[in-house]
Amino acid sequence: MQDALLSFCKWLENTPWALFIGRSLWAYPVVQAIHFSGLSLWVGTIVVIDFRFLGLGGRRQPAGRLAEQLVPWTWTGLGIALLGGILLFAASASAYFRNPAFRIKFLVLVVGITYHIIIQRNLSKWGQSLATPPVAKLATVTELALWICVITAAVEIPNH
Amino acid sequence: MSFFQWLEHSSLITSISNSKWMYPAVEVAHFFSLFVLVGTIAVVDLRLLGLAGRRQTVTELAEQLFPWTWAGLGLAVLSGFIMFAASATGFVANTQFLIKMAITVVAVVFAILVQRRTRQWDQPSGTPILAKLTAIVSLALWIGVILMAAEIANYSEL
Repeated sequence: MQDALLSFCKWLENTPWALFIGRSLWAYPVVQAIHFSGLSLWVGTIVVIDFRFLGLGGRRQPAGRLAEQLVPWTWTGLGIALLGGILLFAASASAYFRNPAFRIKFLVLVVGITYHIIIQRNLSKWGQSLATPPVAKLATVTELALWICVITAAVEIPNH
Repeated sequence: MSFFQWLEHSSLITSISNSKWMYPAVEVAHFFSLFVLVGTIAVVDLRLLGLAGRRQTVTELAEQLFPWTWAGLGLAVLSGFIMFAASATGFVANTQFLIKMAITVVAVVFAILVQRRTRQWDQPSGTPILAKLTAIVSLALWIGVILMAAEIANYSEL
């Protein structure tokens, strides 16, 4: 399994477009900027909604209403972030594959996205009144912790 | 000794940059707050362009998000200053960093401008062309900030 994945990574980083991103002076920063712009939308909207469910900020309307408005941008952000992320990964695939911080990031990321899909179904139900049920608070604190873990692992990638 | 050398070698900053966990923690705070800052600004800009959350008025949506924009900016500036201080002499000599700071200042001015005009721009017939133009410039400025931030690492030994 490890060998198969590693040879896939080797193939990926030698595709013409991955080589181009790695070698071009401008393509790599541009792809990084795509990744970060997407993340701003994805993490930014999730954090605002989570804090709102925790009873912080903008209490003039139920949390569910705000969540409803932001949901399309959360998913647009994820799409942009994944596009940029896959391109960044491809540029040095086998190095990322061997990096323990990257492996942790990837794992927590998969958990985080799955978790978000699960709780999002409940957000509009939980967010109908101005007072949020305790279960919603627990769910959103957990989600905030997950994304902080993802960012921490990402920050540690260059150190390993 | 210049101010930047003094800053870099101040005891508070060296204890942060020598610590195994403090510097990464500051970086995490910087990224986290930036996502909130840029994310909330982008949603308001997209709403002004008529693309996001049209079930609420611009004012309704924006006043929910502005407090987070400023909270994000506060934390981003604080954490960013610590990161800057840890290698101050390297950063001040880095052209990309200086460009990033200049664009950031302009982008923040645009954010203030948007916040002050939101009510006025919020018309049932749609937002005026000036509002849309401001929103496009604001989005472009933040993409510029991110792009310059990505460039810093490619042109220095920081």
